Amino acid sequence: MTSTGKIEQLSDTPSFLGRGIPRPVGDYKWVYLWGLPLRAMHWIAALSITALVVTGLYIGRPYFVGGFEPGLLMSKFRLAHFIAAVALATTAIVRMYWLFAGNRFERLAALFPVRPRDLGNLFRMVKFYLMIQPEKAPHYLGHNPLQQLNYTLVYLLAFTEVLTGFIMFGMAWPTGTIYSLTYWLVPWFGGIQVVRFLHHAITWFFCIFIPAHVYLSFRADVVEGGGTVSSIVTGGRFFEAEHHYEDE
Amino acid sequence: MFGPTPTLKLAPGESIGEHLASQGVSRRDFLAFCRDTAIVLGLAEAAAPQVAHALETQKRPSVIWLELQECTGCVESITRSNDPTIGSLVLDLVSLDYSDTLMAAAGHQAEKGKDDAMKAGGYVLIVTGSVPLNEGGVYTMVAGRTAKEILEEAAKGAAAVIALGACAHWGSVQAAKPNPTGAVGVREIIKDKPVINIAGCPPVPDVITATVVHFLTFGKLPKADSEGRPLFAYGARIHDQCPRRGHFDAGQFVENFDDKGAREGWCLYQVGCKGPQTFSPCPIFMWNEKTSWPIGAGHPCIGCTEPHFWDTMAPFYKRLPDVGGWGIEQSVDRIGATLAGLTVAGVAAHATWTAVDKMRRKRELPVVTNPGAGPRPQPGGEA
Amino acid sequence: MARTKVVVDPITRIEGHLRIEVAAEAGKIADAWASATAFRGIELVLKDRDPRDGWAYAQRICGVCTTVHAIASIRAVEDALDIHIPPCANLIRNLVLGMQFVHDHVMHFYHLHALDWVDVVSALKADPVAAAKIASSISPWPNNDAAHFRAVQERLKKFVGSGQLGIFANGYWGHPAYKLPPEVNLIGVAHYLETLEWQRDAVRLHTIFGGKNPHPNFLVGGMASAINVDARATINGARIAEIRDIIARARQIVDQVYWPDLLAIAGFYKDWGAIGGGVPNYLVYGEFPVDIRDTNSYYFKPGVILGNDLTKVHEFDEKLIREQIDAAWYDYPQGSPAEGLHPYEGETIPKYTGPKPPWDYLQGLDKYTWMKAPRYDGKPMQVGPLARILVAYGHGHDDVRQLAKEVMDRLQVGPAALFSTLGRTAARGMETVLLARMLDTWMDQLVERIGNGDTSTFTRDKWDPSTWPRKAQGFGRADVPRGALGHWVQIEDGKFSRYQAVVPSTWNCSPKDPKGQHGPYEASLMDNHPLVNPEQPLEIIRTIHSFDPCLACGVH
Ligand code: HEM
Ligand code: HEM
Ligand code: NFV
Ligand code: SF4
Ligand code: SF4
Ligand code: F3S
Ligand SMILES: [Mg+2]
Repeated sequence: MTSTGKIEQLSDTPSFLGRGIPRPVGDYKWVYLWGLPLRAMHWIAALSITALVVTGLYIGRPYFVGGFEPGLLMSKFRLAHFIAAVALATTAIVRMYWLFAGNRFERLAALFPVRPRDLGNLFRMVKFYLMIQPEKAPHYLGHNPLQQLNYTLVYLLAFTEVLTGFIMFGMAWPTGTIYSLTYWLVPWFGGIQVVRFLHHAITWFFCIFIPAHVYLSFRADVVEGGGTVSSIVTGGRFFEAEHHYEDE
Repeated sequence: MFGPTPTLKLAPGESIGEHLASQGVSRRDFLAFCRDTAIVLGLAEAAAPQVAHALETQKRPSVIWLELQECTGCVESITRSNDPTIGSLVLDLVSLDYSDTLMAAAGHQAEKGKDDAMKAGGYVLIVTGSVPLNEGGVYTMVAGRTAKEILEEAAKGAAAVIALGACAHWGSVQAAKPNPTGAVGVREIIKDKPVINIAGCPPVPDVITATVVHFLTFGKLPKADSEGRPLFAYGARIHDQCPRRGHFDAGQFVENFDDKGAREGWCLYQVGCKGPQTFSPCPIFMWNEKTSWPIGAGHPCIGCTEPHFWDTMAPFYKRLPDVGGWGIEQSVDRIGATLAGLTVAGVAAHATWTAVDKMRRKRELPVVTNPGAGPRPQPGGEA
Repeated sequence: MARTKVVVDPITRIEGHLRIEVAAEAGKIADAWASATAFRGIELVLKDRDPRDGWAYAQRICGVCTTVHAIASIRAVEDALDIHIPPCANLIRNLVLGMQFVHDHVMHFYHLHALDWVDVVSALKADPVAAAKIASSISPWPNNDAAHFRAVQERLKKFVGSGQLGIFANGYWGHPAYKLPPEVNLIGVAHYLETLEWQRDAVRLHTIFGGKNPHPNFLVGGMASAINVDARATINGARIAEIRDIIARARQIVDQVYWPDLLAIAGFYKDWGAIGGGVPNYLVYGEFPVDIRDTNSYYFKPGVILGNDLTKVHEFDEKLIREQIDAAWYDYPQGSPAEGLHPYEGETIPKYTGPKPPWDYLQGLDKYTWMKAPRYDGKPMQVGPLARILVAYGHGHDDVRQLAKEVMDRLQVGPAALFSTLGRTAARGMETVLLARMLDTWMDQLVERIGNGDTSTFTRDKWDPSTWPRKAQGFGRADVPRGALGHWVQIEDGKFSRYQAVVPSTWNCSPKDPKGQHGPYEASLMDNHPLVNPEQPLEIIRTIHSFDPCLACGVH
């Protein structure tokens, strides 16, 4: 859904960061990008992944070691890890479904730079972030190709992480369902140690993605205004009317 | 010069029950053995009578034991196999008709023992050692023939094939990179019958005793996992049966050998224990009359029951593999942490750059309030 | 006179795959070929591995003399990186290796060697009462009573009667070279069974310190089994008591079973004191250190004896070792020196040039084995118990001199009888007696240290590769049940860049060299050696078994 009109009319749509920015003037349109389900998914994923990183890094290298009286440190971290794991896994499944059921910004195509047009724009976008000819940057309502690429990667790695995670998880019950569903993949990975290694290594990717991603989102607010951040809260944001948007 | 070897009058074979009795094993001890084995096999104690009956009626099976490309550690391990009452597998439970290491005869007299057993048929074939395939198999020759030829011949008439130890399972140390002789396990050669893999380098000996008893009792090999390892022994992870697991859960770890944790018997996870990746009965069966086991003696498990562990579980004192051949101390954590750090730094830099850039533009660009066209007004542009 | 070609393959009751071919002439052996018929390439597998992991791969060179290659490997790394291990760790290693000797030697005597001298079938004719009399006259062993021997004989009768002879089938029973009276044969069989039971107990010492046997765990820089008398999962009071008991039982078996049996049986085979001497040179690296870097602190000191001359023990110099491949299926790089390569330049490049399998004969071929030919200062060397006893004798080692005198008096033979098949078997027994005693000594020393609060078992300072030089090389020296063992390692950027092992059985089973010198197995078979019936090569097996061959070790 898109609504156009004078910006003043929309003053009742606060952008929790946008506040610092003087109310823009001129023709703006407010575009509804992220459906509630997607936003819900986003924040569940965001929180669980953050939790998984924190607990996972402990499991991987217990960064403080218990005293003589057992504090059940490791089992607590693992429990937290597994709870977050289930949350993430569930979200992942719903998101899979939403890749087809979601609106055009949320669909598969909007997340993977497959269309030639997007590929072409990729480079202009890179230039934009490198601040070379920023004004030539293509305009997108949803994910621009760079974000698309980034999210493609995020999705694939998150999937691998969930898969490898459940492979390790299943090992504790070799007669169980998780084991029989997942363990046969181990040789395909090249051994259980490789599975564990991937699981561990991908964690570091998230340690890189999260700050970058959060920064870019906030930055979008500050520089472009319009409330990118709020878009993942309220679902919509402003776009300057006069621009041509590739995914209009 | 003088006569041939004096031949002994051979009576028809006796049952294991008779044999054990003749070897001075009391009825009580015999039943105790059946109970213990039933338990090892993960059967209900109620299965003990069934085991007893089978052993009493079964003829001691003829066993041909082929030793191929190996270190003989698995044979040694079997000589350590013990039950409080039954003397030994090789002398009492089975009739060991061919064994390089133990048999009295040598040369063609030894080979004759094997030929006779093969003619009689219905024997159990135990194999230790791998089969080298490079150069037409000349890397292991017995009586002038290649290991491959000998194995294929002996497997033909075998009632069951038991691959004993990592060598027979998948090749073990000689199959580790670069596998100079092209060593492979039995299952790569014998594809027309089931091969049970008693995993380990060497395996816990009780597993083979139990496997043989299972075969005698039920006439078939025990249920196995995808690796062909009997589930009664390899059906659970070391990590889930480990007496040090309490310390793992508590977050009490040995950080370095002979440190405070080591002297308290804490968990060996941080010094590379592969227990979480290894399916093996070590913590339950233990070793050498239940005296101890690797982790019990303070050394991390190196995962010796898992296929290709010499390559996949190394380095042995690190939890994670040295993937992509980074310098051996170059752990993924260092690289990951560095990149994460750089990102945060990058973000900070980029943020400042943006700010600076905005200032510049603010100076360059005229502030226009004309709606529509032109760049957007900047903070403080109007009030 | 016509020569008969004889092939004995497999040689059984040894470790690994050995083929012996001889040319027999008039009841004697005129020429001999010892062929190692299996190769694994473990030196090549060790290349590029983490030096701290090396011991585990190296240990799999052999599961019979388990522990020894692990020890040689960690010593090589500790030599290269100048790691000094704590005294307690050294004592634990001595205990583990010491027990390996005792276990290995007793098992060799009864389960690998005895059936060459003991006629199992003849034991059926024995009188248990007479057997008990003989046995108790030479030893206080509690089981030396008629009832026990009768029970064993019954077992044996039933076993034979069952028709399932198993490992005893097709033996050379009744061969005229068997000289023991039925009673002594019965004693031998009884103790075959008793020691088979006992050996399981002996190795439990390895299990306590190393977690399992075969193939217990070791650690570069010390041992992994921490000492804490107040904890449950460590070397504590209970464990120390357990070890004491294991050692006590081992000593009893050695002093009351193995040693008396050996002397008794030897008494009937004195003629073998003049057979199978072979190579007259003996090499010892030395073993059982207080400080590995000070060879004077060793219980067995290094030394070299040449030409059977016990009056002069030469200094051992590691630099004089070379490995040759002229008669073995290997290749060396272009322009390698004729006298062979020192292990620091050593190469392992398998290159099979033998006949296409199946084989009929290897004798006469210029390459006929997978065994390299190590030479010391150009000479073939005998290594093993006999070498250690002779060198110690030459050094004036009190315990050894005393025991040697005892033996020579008992058997009424001179020192010359030691240079023989019987001598090798007797020397093995002698060192077992001495080392069984040492086990207690080392245990006392360990307990005393613990008592004084020294419980350190591991040196941490050089554990992290960042503390290592970019390049280093080390010599891991050891003397192990079958003889002098060396691992030579080169480390580059934290990984093995070269790994070479020269093993006791490599020395003893070595083939001819370009000078035409035979290795010890071959030379012994050609030294006044009988072979009365080529169909039943009992004498060949006796002499070969007296070396306690380990082919997996020798070739690796
Ligand atoms: C304060 C924190 C965060 C904010 C403000 C934020 C903001 C956003 C916004 C605005 C989008 C829409 C994409 C776009 O801008 O075009 C988005 C998408 C996304 N964010 Fe976040 N994000 C935050 C934290 C996280 C965290 C911690 C993660 C997990 C690693 C995460 C993962 C994602 C993913 C996977 C997407 C793609 C969503 C989709 O289209 O399916 N975000 N985020
Ligand atoms: C983005 C998501 C995730 C991250 C960042 C993450 C991170 C980690 C890390 C760093 C480790 C330590 C690995 C090691 O060094 O051995 C770990 C262990 C583990 N993770 Fe995850 N994980 C994630 C998702 C999952 C999921 C979905 C599961 C599924 C159940 C899971 C299950 C496990 C298990 C079973 C372990 C091993 C715990 C143990 O060894 O006791 N993880 N995780
Ligand atoms: N030769 C030899 Fe070994 C010994 N002792 C090793 O070094 O037997 Ni397997
Ligand atoms: S599996 Fe291990 S112990 Fe058994 S023979 Fe092979 S290397 Fe030796
Ligand atoms: S010692 Fe190894 S197996 Fe035991 S709990 Fe710790 S990590 Fe798991
Ligand atoms: S190393 Fe092997 S012996 Fe058991 S504890 Fe680990 S599986
Ligand atoms: Mg070598």
